Amino acid sequence: MNTELNDSGESLHELAGEYVLGTLPASQREDVERRLPVDPELQAAVDYWEARLLHLTDLVEPQTPSPRLWARIQRSLDESARQTVPVSRTRQSKWWDSLSLWRGFAAAGMAATLVLGSLLLTRTISDSSPTWLVVLATPQNLAPGWVMQASNQSREIELIPLGVTELPPDKALQLWTKAEGWQAPVSLGLVKPGEPVKIRLDELPPLQPNQLFELTLEQPTGSPTGKPTGPIQFIGRAAKVI
Amino acid sequence: MSVKRLYASPMPRPARRGNYNQPVADQLSAPPSPFDYEAALRACARGERSALQNLYEQESPRLLGVVQRIVRDAALAEDIVHDAFIRIWNKAATYDQARGSARGWIFSVTRHLALNAVRNNARQMQMDPDEEGETSHAAIDGWQEQTDAFDWRVNPGRIEACLEQLEPVRRNCVFHAYVDGYSHQEIAQRLGAPLGTVKAWIRRSLTALRECIG
Repeated sequence: MNTELNDSGESLHELAGEYVLGTLPASQREDVERRLPVDPELQAAVDYWEARLLHLTDLVEPQTPSPRLWARIQRSLDESARQTVPVSRTRQSKWWDSLSLWRGFAAAGMAATLVLGSLLLTRTISDSSPTWLVVLATPQNLAPGWVMQASNQSREIELIPLGVTELPPDKALQLWTKAEGWQAPVSLGLVKPGEPVKIRLDELPPLQPNQLFELTLEQPTGSPTGKPTGPIQFIGRAAKVI
Repeated sequence: MSVKRLYASPMPRPARRGNYNQPVADQLSAPPSPFDYEAALRACARGERSALQNLYEQESPRLLGVVQRIVRDAALAEDIVHDAFIRIWNKAATYDQARGSARGWIFSVTRHLALNAVRNNARQMQMDPDEEGETSHAAIDGWQEQTDAFDWRVNPGRIEACLEQLEPVRRNCVFHAYVDGYSHQEIAQRLGAPLGTVKAWIRRSLTALRECIG
C-alpha cells in the first residue's frame, strides 16, 4: 500500500478521492489523516474532492435534531471551558502523560517569568501608569507564543516573542485587534516571527479590558481584504495589571 | 433505497439557504445578506458562542441528515453531530479560507467523523432480504440498463453534469459511497457485483470525473 501512496499524482488523486468518498478501510483512512498535516499535495487533492463532491450532500433529506442536542453541546463546551488545561476527559490516558500539558506548563512558566520580569521593570520606571498585558497563545493547545504589553500613557504596545514561530514559505503573520463593540478587527500590521516589535496605537481608542489580539497567517503583503482571512496562529485578550 | 427529494422540481438552486434575519457575527450588519460561514468560523475562533449557535441553527438539520444517512442510527447520529460541533468550535481557528469554503469545511469535519465511526466499527450491512434477492439475480449486462438509485438531476451543478457522463451503475457507486457511506464490500453486495469490479468502477469514475470537472 505504501508504494501506492508514494506514487504519481494520479494515484494521489485516487487516494484523496476515495478518502473523501469514504470507501477507504479504517487503516487507510488513518494513514491519510496522519499524512494530511504534513503532505500539502495530498491535502490539496483532498480539498479538491471535498469541494467538488460537497454538492452531493444536497441529496440527503435534512433531519431535525432533538431539542436536547444543542443543550448537550453547550454543556460539553461549558465543561471543557471550566478545565483550565485542555485535557480531554474522554481520553483514557493519564493527564500527567500528556506532553502538550507539560509543554503548556513550561511555556506558561516562561511566559510568567517574562511577564513578572517586565512588570518589575515597568514598576521601577513608573508606578502610576496602568499596564495592559496580553498573552497570545495557540488556539489548539494554548501554548503561549507572544506576550504583549502596553501602558496607557505611551500609546504604544510592545510585542515580545517567546520563541521562533515556523511559518510556511510565502506567508506572513499579521496582527489584529478588536475591542468589544467594534464592527471588525483592525490590522496593526505585519509582524516578523521571533522579533520583538513596538507598534503605535495613535489612531485607536485606548485599550479596553478583554480587547482581543490575534496573529493570523496571511499573504506576504498582508490580508488582501483588510480583514483576517488565514488561520489564527496566536490569540489572547488584554488584561489590566493592577 | 430511493431518496426523498429536497427540491420537488428542477428549480435553480436557491442562492444560499438562509435564515436571513439572524446576524451571524457582529461584523454582519447589512440587512438581507446570505449566511456568512467564514465570519461565523472566525467568530467561533474568537470564542463567540453565539456564532456557533447560529451555525447550529443554520446547518444542524442538514448535517444530521448527512450523518444519519451514513451511520443509520438516530442516537449515534446525534452523538456524532454533537462531537462535530465541539470539533468545529475547537478547530475553527485552523480553518484556512485558501483551502476551501467554510461551509465545505464544516461538512467535511462532520462527514469524516461519521465515516470514521462506521469504518472503525466495521459495520455489517443489513440488507433487506427482498433487495438482496433482486440484486444477486441481476445479470452482468443488466447493470448497463440499471436505473438511477438516486434522483440526482434536480439540482444541477458542475459535478452533476459530469456524473451524467458516467454509466448509471458507476454513478450509483459514487452515490452509495459518498451519500450512504458504503464501503467497497457493501457496494458490491448491494449491486451484486464482484468486489474487484466495484473497486475498478470507483477508481475509473474518479478519474473520469476529474477529467470532466477539470
